[in-house]
Amino acid sequence: MELSLSTRTVAGHKVLEVGGEIDVYTAPQLREHLIALVEGGDRQVVVDLGRVEFLDSTGLGVLVGALKRLRGVDGELSLVCAQERLLKIFRITGLDRVFTLYGTVEAATAGGEGASGAPAATAG
Amino acid sequence: MTTSTVGPAEPGPPAGAAPEADTGPGVDAGQDAADAGQDAADAGQDAADAGRTVAQRRANAAAQARRAVVRVGAGGQRLRVLLVEDDPGDAFLVGELLDEVDAPVTLRIAATMAEALAGLDDVDCVLLDLGLPDANGLDGLRRLLRDGTGVAVCVLTGLADEHLGVAAVAEGAQDYLVKGRVDGVLLSRAIRYAVERRRADENALRLRESELRQAESRRLERGLLPQPLMEPGVVVLETFYRPGRQRALLGGDFYDAVQTGPGRLSLLVGDVCGHGVEEAALGVALRVAWRALTLAGVPDDDLLPALERVLMAERRSEEVFATVATVDVDVAASEASVRICGHPPPLIISGDRVHPVAGRPAMMLGVFPGGTGEPNRVPLPPDWAVLVYTDGLIDGRVGDGRLGVGGLRELVAEHRRTGAPLAELPDWLIARAEERNGDPLADDVAMLLLTGDQATS
Repeated sequence: MELSLSTRTVAGHKVLEVGGEIDVYTAPQLREHLIALVEGGDRQVVVDLGRVEFLDSTGLGVLVGALKRLRGVDGELSLVCAQERLLKIFRITGLDRVFTLYGTVEAATAGGEGASGAPAATAG
Repeated sequence: MTTSTVGPAEPGPPAGAAPEADTGPGVDAGQDAADAGQDAADAGQDAADAGRTVAQRRANAAAQARRAVVRVGAGGQRLRVLLVEDDPGDAFLVGELLDEVDAPVTLRIAATMAEALAGLDDVDCVLLDLGLPDANGLDGLRRLLRDGTGVAVCVLTGLADEHLGVAAVAEGAQDYLVKGRVDGVLLSRAIRYAVERRRADENALRLRESELRQAESRRLERGLLPQPLMEPGVVVLETFYRPGRQRALLGGDFYDAVQTGPGRLSLLVGDVCGHGVEEAALGVALRVAWRALTLAGVPDDDLLPALERVLMAERRSEEVFATVATVDVDVAASEASVRICGHPPPLIISGDRVHPVAGRPAMMLGVFPGGTGEPNRVPLPPDWAVLVYTDGLIDGRVGDGRLGVGGLRELVAEHRRTGAPLAELPDWLIARAEERNGDPLADDVAMLLLTGDQATS
């Protein structure tokens, strides 16, 4: 399964739309892409997982790595994720406490910290 | 047509014509087969024109030649050749020879070794003159072999120094040709074969590397999956490990089990995010650290934070994390103390009732240290069993989705309703998960099944 990656700019945020499966084989591509964004000067990065069909622990590691990298330069990584099966993965790994998860790209790019769409990942 | 000197016979496709030579009428036989190759390569001429051979040999040669054609066809692209030649006349001649036979070759020329070394990207084969102004004899070849990783080299020698050609092949060139005794067909073929030989060498090398990697994987696997430290007695432990579909890609799954007192046991299962030797080696380090901390009697609340510190000290990059679940069983008290850091929840099994250990897991280790959380104390029913596992088991496909914890729970319940012995559960689970996945599971799976004495049947 291929990974598709495309970036656009929405309201001052760089939105990286990811499609397909993020696993041990495709995660390196995502890592490189995220690193390139940070090195290119982007600080407000939104990863849109709306079309992601699968996310494994390697993929989570990449997302956490990008989050830490961005925080290290006073940036922020937000995730857009409304699929229950992905949200479940974030809950299992405890990472729902680390990432700001939004239901839509609009919510993720509207304003700054703690935008209204934040609680997409209610515990359940 | 002039007869040319081809390098020492080697096994494989390049030597395809050799058997003909062995049985043929003297020195001409090799040439016949070569002609056949040319004819078929020219596609359209009858290979029988190759000449003075019996029908059977002709057919053989034609069949070989057809294979050669198919191979080139399958390769598809034109070969990119860099001619390193300081004599413009000789360089012109090489171009003419290749044009003459419409060889599927894109030729570029470098007049010095320095120029050649600077432009080795996108080159399939180097035709190397051994008498260059800035690199004489085999010196140039050695530099080329050192710097031009993966490029095939075919050496050009003069009539008087053919011995250098032999030496060049011994040093690692794929072939040599004697100037003035080469025609276009032979040159074109020598280039093609040199590239094929180089690929064959590389494949052999890769195969050996993969074998070494697998041996290393097996060593690491033993480190990840130890013999439990347990006395036989009131509980039974089944261990299970199944490598993922990509055998060479060792996962970082690990487990361990240590008896800490009479009727007291600690289980560990974990997964270092990512796959590869580094991750597996870190998995071994974490498992051994956990065992040592457990045996040393480090207080329960301090154990996982200490393990997290080990992880952070030993990992090679800040992006390496690990999920773990630990289960401390006190048989006499019928209680399990479960800690989960980013790991799928253990299942408590009693009869055909199966429950994932509830509660909000702590974060996986190494993300933001210090949050390993409180244990979840779970009362154990009289006929209890506990299954801990890694995510490879629940990541298998089911239709459009994945098995997940819910799906696993149903599978375990289904198995218990069959009345089959619990000891068969791990194998059965894998078989069912793969059946639904439609394929062997992609990721590694590790499982520990701990069974109290009243649930073993």
